[in-house]
Amino acid sequence: MSQRKSYAVGTGLFIVLGFAALAYLATQTSSVANSHQGSSYTIDAQFANIGALKERAPVKVAGVRVGQVQSITLEPGKDVADVTLSIDKKYNEIPTDSVATIYTSGLLGDQYVGLQFGGAKTYVADGGHIGLTKSSAPLEEMLGKFLGSGGAADAIGGTYSVRADFTNVGTLSVGAPVKMAGVAIGSVASIKADPVKLDATVTLAIDKKYNQIPDDSSVSIFTSGLIGSQYVAIQPGGSPNSLKDGDQLVLTQSAMQLEDLIGKFLVNGSPSGSNSAGGNSSPNTPAGKH
Amino acid sequence: MSAQMPHKSIVLQSLAQIGNCGLFLLRILAAVPSSLRHVRETVRQLWFVGAMSLTIIMTCGLFVGMVLGLQLYHVLAIFGGTSATGSVVALAIYRELGPVVTALLFAGRAGTSITAEIGLMRATDQIAAMEMMAVDPIAYVAAPRFLAGLIAMPLLCCVFCAMGIFGGHLVGVSWLGIDNGTFWSNMTSNVDVWDDIINGVMWKSVAFGAVVSLIAVFQGYTTPPTSEGVAYATTRTVVSSSIAILALDFVLTAFLM
Amino acid sequence: MTDTVQAKPDDRALVRIRGLTTVLSGKTVFDALDLDIPRGKVTAIMGPSGTGKTTLLKHITGQMRSDKGEVRVDGLNVPELPRDQLFGLRERIGYLFQNSALLTDFDVFENVAFPLRQHTKLPEVLIRNIVLTKLQAVGLRGAASLMPSELSGGMARRVALARAIVFDPMLILYDEPFVGLDPIALNQVLKLIRTLNDTLNITSVLVAHELAAIKEVADHVYLIANGKVVAQGDPKKIADDGSPWTRQFFGGDADGPVPFQYPAGDYAQALGFKQGAA
Repeated sequence: MSQRKSYAVGTGLFIVLGFAALAYLATQTSSVANSHQGSSYTIDAQFANIGALKERAPVKVAGVRVGQVQSITLEPGKDVADVTLSIDKKYNEIPTDSVATIYTSGLLGDQYVGLQFGGAKTYVADGGHIGLTKSSAPLEEMLGKFLGSGGAADAIGGTYSVRADFTNVGTLSVGAPVKMAGVAIGSVASIKADPVKLDATVTLAIDKKYNQIPDDSSVSIFTSGLIGSQYVAIQPGGSPNSLKDGDQLVLTQSAMQLEDLIGKFLVNGSPSGSNSAGGNSSPNTPAGKH
Repeated sequence: MSAQMPHKSIVLQSLAQIGNCGLFLLRILAAVPSSLRHVRETVRQLWFVGAMSLTIIMTCGLFVGMVLGLQLYHVLAIFGGTSATGSVVALAIYRELGPVVTALLFAGRAGTSITAEIGLMRATDQIAAMEMMAVDPIAYVAAPRFLAGLIAMPLLCCVFCAMGIFGGHLVGVSWLGIDNGTFWSNMTSNVDVWDDIINGVMWKSVAFGAVVSLIAVFQGYTTPPTSEGVAYATTRTVVSSSIAILALDFVLTAFLM
Repeated sequence: MTDTVQAKPDDRALVRIRGLTTVLSGKTVFDALDLDIPRGKVTAIMGPSGTGKTTLLKHITGQMRSDKGEVRVDGLNVPELPRDQLFGLRERIGYLFQNSALLTDFDVFENVAFPLRQHTKLPEVLIRNIVLTKLQAVGLRGAASLMPSELSGGMARRVALARAIVFDPMLILYDEPFVGLDPIALNQVLKLIRTLNDTLNITSVLVAHELAAIKEVADHVYLIANGKVVAQGDPKKIADDGSPWTRQFFGGDADGPVPFQYPAGDYAQALGFKQGAA
């Protein structure tokens, strides 16, 4: 009989040990350890792109966790994601003009929502709304920004070609983007030296959907940033006629040379002297002086 | 006969075994209500099957955790990610190594003892004596052991995992020098209670416990009641359990992920 | 002597077997066997090894089903009983196994108490009293706390007997109870069989080989060979009844109806001699 009792006690101890281990695992080693036991309130925000944000991702202010993402939904027919955030009640002074941004922890980590406080005097209440949001930056855009030039446009509808002659193409290369108002609308298809006219003929492939560029637009070679790669920029003119396939842009401005730039800074004029009209690298002539 | 015959009969034999095992499971489940009268017996079996396995489970859990900490640290060091050692150790243990290794150890220690015990009871007519005394041996002998295994496995798995974490911490922080806070914060932010602990540890270990206990009881019950029969049956328990555990592990992982 | 509770007025046989035919693995174990076990008496069943005496016991308890024939125990047709009734019948039958079949995890007391705990809800005090009474009857009350592994063969068998009588059954089946016992233990078991049969009004069926013991204890003996009853009667007189079976079995002849030589082909041929040249 006493054998029976010791089994029951021992077995009971074993079961208790097992559950204690489970409780330890659940509370100490998992994300439950991070979540506050306190009560919370919910606010929502809309994002154009949630990237890889997941439910239960943390919500942080100044890097400190204040809550978590409760749900992410997309209403049919809309193209913005509705994200509900569950914030600990003790952080109840979030200004209504705060900005919610989706950040990535580390280089390849999980994404979380960061809140930057605004200056408003009113605070978001339970069920409230944060209007200012910044969506997650997809990887491609970021890499594109890194590598410069902002990327070329997708020539989805096909392209048409126009030509322009430059006295100096600088470091412009084939495939460099063609931009208008900073937006890429095509790319450089080819660069050839013209043995007769002694300048460079650049063929631009422009996306067909931009077919209303005035044919008196001027085209220049600019550099992105201080030492970035070069691209072709088109400044629209005023002509009522549009560029068509095979047209030639007449008004061109060649690439700036580094030396000339530095020279402009250092001296009032260029090392090559003569201040005739337009100074040195005044480029608005088809055949300028070098 | 042609050389194909032995092959065919092994496959057919295995299929027949699996089928018989399944039918046996039905018999056990049918007997569970009446075995609830024998709660004392189930408690007794839980002691022998569960509590007595604690030593091996805890020791092996500790060593597995230590080895994981060591191995993973060195691999992560290649990518400069040693701060993630804690979470990788925890995830590896919770999702795979915990349930699987515990189940394999369980099969080797408790499974074989169940098989041997039941086989010997058959060989010494104890099962027949029970039938003679109008006690259903399935309800008195088989079902309590099955239930005990089913209950003990998840508990043992939790203990294994806890020891594994401890072992990983021991190696990672105390020996290899990972920062204690980093170890834990990285782990807690990457381990999810529902996906990893409940899905990985609990469901898997319950399933493995059922399979191992069923095979152990089945082999003991259906073996020819001779000494060589019993020896062969214990071997088959370990082999069949191991195969079943790993196959089921794959299925469950695919299903739960 | 009062009859047992469920007595049929004219049924003097507790166990009635008619036309029992069983074939196991191609071998005919029983061939239209007829047998009566009279109430309240000790009946012995003897026969050459392998004639299926243990199988016969299994038919009586319903552990085995015959291919043909009838097995009636106390009027109930055993092969056709539904499970719960079969279990009910088994509670009224005690079975003593050749190797005692004590549950190895429990001590002597718990082993004897096992049927009581399984089938009754008696209070602990009552269980204790019953167990101790039965142990006293077999002379082992002092061994109540020993484990089966600590018992000698004879003691184990007596404990098993105590367990078998714990419900005061109407029928006890003894499967080779004298095997492996020293003379003292053998006499103890003999005395118990006889005493229990007389004082508790039990019907006893013994399967055994030891003629001397059977002569002392049995009222009636059946000799079974080749699946049939080949001789029966009072054990003290059966050795002289003249049939070749009894002459070989009880008289000690090495050869007779049960052949010495296992069936084989021609001897001369096996040795390589030409046929008929022996």
